[in-house]
Amino acid sequence: MYSYTEFDEAFVRERVAQFRAQVERRIDGSLTEDEFKPLRLMNGLYLQLHAYMLRVAVPYGTLNSRQMNQLAYIAETWDKGYGHFTTRQNIQYNWPLLKDVPDMLDALADVGMHAIQTSGNTIRNVTADHFAGAAADEIEDPRPYAELLRQWSTDHPEFQFLPRKFKIAVTGAPNDRAVVKAHDIGLEIVKNDAGETGFRVLVGGGLGRTPMIGKVIRDFLPKDDLLPYCEAIVSVYNLLGRRDNKYKARIKITVHENGLDEFKAQVEDRFALLRGQFGGADQQLLAEIKAQFARPDLPARDLSGFTTAYDNDPVFRAWVDTNVAEHAVDGYALLTISLKAHGETPGDATAEQMREMAALAAEYSSDELRISHEQNVILPHVAKSDLPAIHARLQQHGLATANIGLISDIIACPGMDYCALATARSIPVAQQIATRFDELKMEHDIGPLKIKISGCINACGHHHVGHIGILGLDRAGVENYQITLGGDGTEDAAIGTRTGPGFAYDQIVPAIETLVETYLDERESPDETFLDTYKRVGMAPFKAALYPAEEKSRAA
Amino acid sequence: MPLDPASAPVADRVRDLNERYRHHGATAVLERALSDAQVGNIALVSSFGAESVVLLHMISVMDRTTPVLFIDTQMLFEETLQYQLDVSEKLGLTDVRSIRPDPEKIRELDRFGALHLSDPDACCDLRKTQTLASALAPFDAWITGRKRFQGGQRAALEFFENEGDIRIKVNPLAHWAKDDVRDYMINNRLPRHPLVSQGYPSIGCKPCTSKVAEGEDERAGRWRGKDKVECGIHFINGKPVRRVAEGTEGEATPQEETTMSVIVTDGGFAADDWNGELAAPEDTGAAAVLLPSDADPEVLRDRLDQLKLVAVDFPSFADGRGFTIARRLRLMGYTGRLRAKGHVIADQYAMARRVGFDEVEIDLDLATRQPEDQWLRRAEWKAHDYQSRLRA
Repeated sequence: MYSYTEFDEAFVRERVAQFRAQVERRIDGSLTEDEFKPLRLMNGLYLQLHAYMLRVAVPYGTLNSRQMNQLAYIAETWDKGYGHFTTRQNIQYNWPLLKDVPDMLDALADVGMHAIQTSGNTIRNVTADHFAGAAADEIEDPRPYAELLRQWSTDHPEFQFLPRKFKIAVTGAPNDRAVVKAHDIGLEIVKNDAGETGFRVLVGGGLGRTPMIGKVIRDFLPKDDLLPYCEAIVSVYNLLGRRDNKYKARIKITVHENGLDEFKAQVEDRFALLRGQFGGADQQLLAEIKAQFARPDLPARDLSGFTTAYDNDPVFRAWVDTNVAEHAVDGYALLTISLKAHGETPGDATAEQMREMAALAAEYSSDELRISHEQNVILPHVAKSDLPAIHARLQQHGLATANIGLISDIIACPGMDYCALATARSIPVAQQIATRFDELKMEHDIGPLKIKISGCINACGHHHVGHIGILGLDRAGVENYQITLGGDGTEDAAIGTRTGPGFAYDQIVPAIETLVETYLDERESPDETFLDTYKRVGMAPFKAALYPAEEKSRAA
Repeated sequence: MPLDPASAPVADRVRDLNERYRHHGATAVLERALSDAQVGNIALVSSFGAESVVLLHMISVMDRTTPVLFIDTQMLFEETLQYQLDVSEKLGLTDVRSIRPDPEKIRELDRFGALHLSDPDACCDLRKTQTLASALAPFDAWITGRKRFQGGQRAALEFFENEGDIRIKVNPLAHWAKDDVRDYMINNRLPRHPLVSQGYPSIGCKPCTSKVAEGEDERAGRWRGKDKVECGIHFINGKPVRRVAEGTEGEATPQEETTMSVIVTDGGFAADDWNGELAAPEDTGAAAVLLPSDADPEVLRDRLDQLKLVAVDFPSFADGRGFTIARRLRLMGYTGRLRAKGHVIADQYAMARRVGFDEVEIDLDLATRQPEDQWLRRAEWKAHDYQSRLRA
């Protein structure tokens, strides 16, 4: 994986020194709060409900054990001993003091990490498939391109004060695990008829108040054109995007209001103007970056230990069935460690858990870890024969929950418990759903089912693309939860449809139970997933089950 | 305890209340004031001015049915009227009462709306004081947003005040500092009055409110040049207060508007050496133009050779369009002098240079607040630049 060059190192140190001075200038009054705000946001520092919040980038979700250990150290030294992994492959600390933040940034720089551009109206941390470089279905590892984009977008002088935030995601596999269709720019590595690889470029996707699926702006972009083409898109957006209304400022609205054809025409014009700016230095850098992402040496291993445990230990077997995915190399596996223990806060990890995961990565996974946008941690290169030992270690640290992709593997935004924007609680709802279905012992029978919860209309919990989406709103001072069904964040991306009127806080868990019971009644076989059943039978039976009184009154 | 606590003498109740809530904070005082029997029927009087949104937000959280009295003197800024509608809707306030002066009296005393020119006190009295007095008649108490830091007669403000033995005045924010107000607005993402960013930290009626310069008192823009500091709705010893009391400071001297500016280059600060005018982009004969941030740089394409200076306007440092405009002008082949003009901050100097600007023009206020050394710290803009590594 990528390690900082001298240039990266010097850049990050200089940036920390600048921020240290900015904090001092805010305190002495030479910067107004209005002026300080975008500067702290560019360095990942938010002001939340109770305190500042520092959001640290994990570029394309990749970490080594030294970095994970440092995240644990920061949590213990300057926060309350834990961190929260987010839906954009970042980690957030919810309790830092302003005066400590420059020291925290220095501690990050010590291990080649930063919090640059994790917030503010700029190009945010570039995300990628969390299985990159290890998945069996991959055309090419997307992370070198994500790293190239990181370097290009970092401190880009034209794009630090855009109309609104700007998010880019890259996938190298046809099975989209990076939700590229819900990003401002989505990049899919594809092969054309001539057998060359390039990018399919999507633009104007996003969730939030106005969910939209990204539109194809270029079917096939030669790989060398990546930077000038992205620069053309953002440059056109910077002038064309609306600045009069925050809720209409994202590129999805710009594309929608101007039309894809007009937007594309302007982008192609700008691209022609910009192409000559990139004369090959970027490609040379890319080659150096690629070398660093070469897959580690994974020697053949004997499988008998794994097979014995799998055949004889039902707990181990259930865990393998849900949490292990197919690796590109025989005898190896992609192991997802669930941060969704039933009843705990989704995505939270204690310093002790971070250290244990770091130790396991060093010992068993070529020193590599990944953070997924579904708020779990992945060991990407694990020999199957080591899985029984790893499972035993994880059990000791409360990390062996076997629920990846199941009903309790919930994405939830921080909600009203932490966020100043939220209109309803989301974490307690996630905890109650997980606890309820754990009590019922139905989780494995129900099978793959993605529940996503947002505590306000801004949709940080990605509820639009949940198979079951839950949106918490404030209705005259009372929390009210709307349900959507049929959302999908994969290559078949779809926005969920609302079931009808919302539910009160104490009715939302029973409503989810009703939906699940309806699915179990309707499905043709245990192999038919919730989403497949919904696609086959539609909304009607779910609606009838959720709103029985209404159905009757209509019949009467 | 009397049977009807609100009927006890105002002075006694005020003394009790100040004693009881001495150690409470703003929100606690307000929350209790809304329900304390000794306070009685209460209304919030709000001007929907620069800082009003704080109390409005607190009320909306505690009890959004609390009556809110908004005195529309019919001399207010358009922006205030719109802001009143927007904020009331956003916060879900259910009982906002827009109160206007008696039309009969207006016809009689200020038929042409010019009374403020000849006798501002009489104008305030007619449009504000009398209007409020009749609106407050049914209430035992009212809430104001006055704060000690605002100085003058407000420096010794208590949470609860006796208003002429008639009514109680509640000042929940009495002990708040400027930063508390700002933090509260930021933390709760509250919408600001649109005139604040245009230099009006305190907002009253349009004819009698002017901008305030850096370093002046916040209320210096109210009745500027007149020996008047309050409109008269706040009483002392039963009489409306309008003048500076003897022995207190606060007389504001109007400052001349300045047009001086500073040019920043890698060498630091200098005076502007460009003596000509900056023309509008449509002026095809000009040697120097000022491009607004919403202009299309294409309009200059045919005469890039003849231009000696192009200045790009930055109405706000958060408006980043100027950076893209500069880069495009350079890509189009413009090689003359390129200037970023307006609200550009020291932290953006390297960005400005990297996209092709030669210099930055800022006003004296900004140059005072962010002195030369802060700009020189970013003068090494060629160092640590990812773009120069990628763009060869």
